[in-house]
Amino acid sequence: MPKLALMVMLGVGLLLDCPAPALANEELVLIVSAQSNIDQLDSSLVRKLFLGLTVNQHGDRLRPLLNESDAKIKDLFLRNIVSMSDSTYDRYVLRLSLLQGRQQPVVYKDKNSLIHAVAADPSVVSYVWAKDVVNNAQIRIVRVIWHD
Amino acid sequence: MPGGCRSILWTIVWSLSACVAAQAQAEHEHSSHEFEVFLAGQALGGSGQPKPRDDNSWFNADVILGLAHDKFRVFGEYFITPDEHDLERFQVGYEFVPDTVLWVGRFHQPASAWNTEHHHGRYLQTAITRPAIEMWEDEEGLIPQHITGALIESRRPLGTVAGMQFSGGIGAAPSFSNDNYEPITLVDSNPGKHGLSLSGRLAFLPDYAGTSSTGLLWSHDQIFIRTAAAMASLGSSRFNLSIYGAYADWTFGDWRIITAGYYVDVELNRPAPDESFMSGYLQAERHLPHRLTVYARVEDSARMQRSRYVALFNDHSGDIDVTLRGRTGGLRWDYAHRQALSAEMARVVSPTDQRGVEWRLQWAAAIP
Repeated sequence: MPKLALMVMLGVGLLLDCPAPALANEELVLIVSAQSNIDQLDSSLVRKLFLGLTVNQHGDRLRPLLNESDAKIKDLFLRNIVSMSDSTYDRYVLRLSLLQGRQQPVVYKDKNSLIHAVAADPSVVSYVWAKDVVNNAQIRIVRVIWHD
Repeated sequence: MPGGCRSILWTIVWSLSACVAAQAQAEHEHSSHEFEVFLAGQALGGSGQPKPRDDNSWFNADVILGLAHDKFRVFGEYFITPDEHDLERFQVGYEFVPDTVLWVGRFHQPASAWNTEHHHGRYLQTAITRPAIEMWEDEEGLIPQHITGALIESRRPLGTVAGMQFSGGIGAAPSFSNDNYEPITLVDSNPGKHGLSLSGRLAFLPDYAGTSSTGLLWSHDQIFIRTAAAMASLGSSRFNLSIYGAYADWTFGDWRIITAGYYVDVELNRPAPDESFMSGYLQAERHLPHRLTVYARVEDSARMQRSRYVALFNDHSGDIDVTLRGRTGGLRWDYAHRQALSAEMARVVSPTDQRGVEWRLQWAAAIP
């Protein structure tokens, strides 16, 4: 019995000591350049922005950048920002160019390039994992889009 | 279609398909595109339709150019088939307030429920074919579609979620030649006289940024006839065409309904009496598992068979130029990123009670 108790305690200890699961405390955040004048953007404005409609703040026209650096971010973007399925959103942005000559949002597959692009342009808005920008002085977090 | 042509068609279609798929899989660091290209290839068969209509070319490409700088926009749509190539739209715009753009150039008149949504690109429309009343001018379309002048498009919020959309156009209407309209072209000469065209749309959007809408349509075109034969048929050298319509394009869950009804009034010079007819359609689409979409469309009309105006569009080639009634059904499979295969079957009836059955197979894609 003492041997069993020891094994249970050891097992619990190992569990407590092991690294957190990949998703624990993950946060997807909306980011802008630290030099940007962009204030808090409510969810309806963020949705309009990423659906290609015009969103201005302080006289600046905001530009959305799509983060497709990993599949989970894309999935969270579709569910929490635009509320559309992948195929519906794809058709929607294709329609933009046909209907009003609007350009589709620029897509980034590499998160470092995306973060550099956001840092360099005060009119740009995008979204990344919080852990990727939390210590980056060139980036400001505007809001949390999703957390686990 | 001869066997040689068919094999060439499918070779090209599959080569393009492979290119598109390869491009879609390529991992670019980032991408932004001023050009979009919508491609479609189709095979057509059937009975009672001895000669395919002009829009039934086996291949077409719709090249879209869109440039935006601050509030300025430049937009162009160039349509290419083996038989024709034309600058369908070319517009220069200025967005003077958010989501309100004033355009100058050649545009699609806003009183068409279908064409202002799908334009020339086949990939974005679920069905292979468009309803007969929405046909383009060079497909013996009964309603002028390409206007050259000024267009204003505006979208305003209504409450916290909904919105209103307004579009209004003013410009030069097409002239009428032997059996079809001839809109002003930006890349060639424009013989004949072109009258005034006015058109508009007022729509309610349940979601300001969504895709569903319902609204009212109106247009008024002053049309000058260029040929003696058409003048003799109508007893008039010109006529005014007024269109009053209503439409809905509504998505709920896996269903989408597209419906429109038009009342068309043809005002002729006296002593020729005025005439009118009605035309409408209802298309229902349902998304299924495995990226499949099934659809069906019903088209009907009233008084079209008695209209001398409608009879003008018969080019006496033996094919069905104008459809009085139609039943269409099909299945679309979005088998890869921005690529779809579709099969469609249609039964059509002409104003002279000529009946035809058509089937189509289509590959459509959007690049990039």
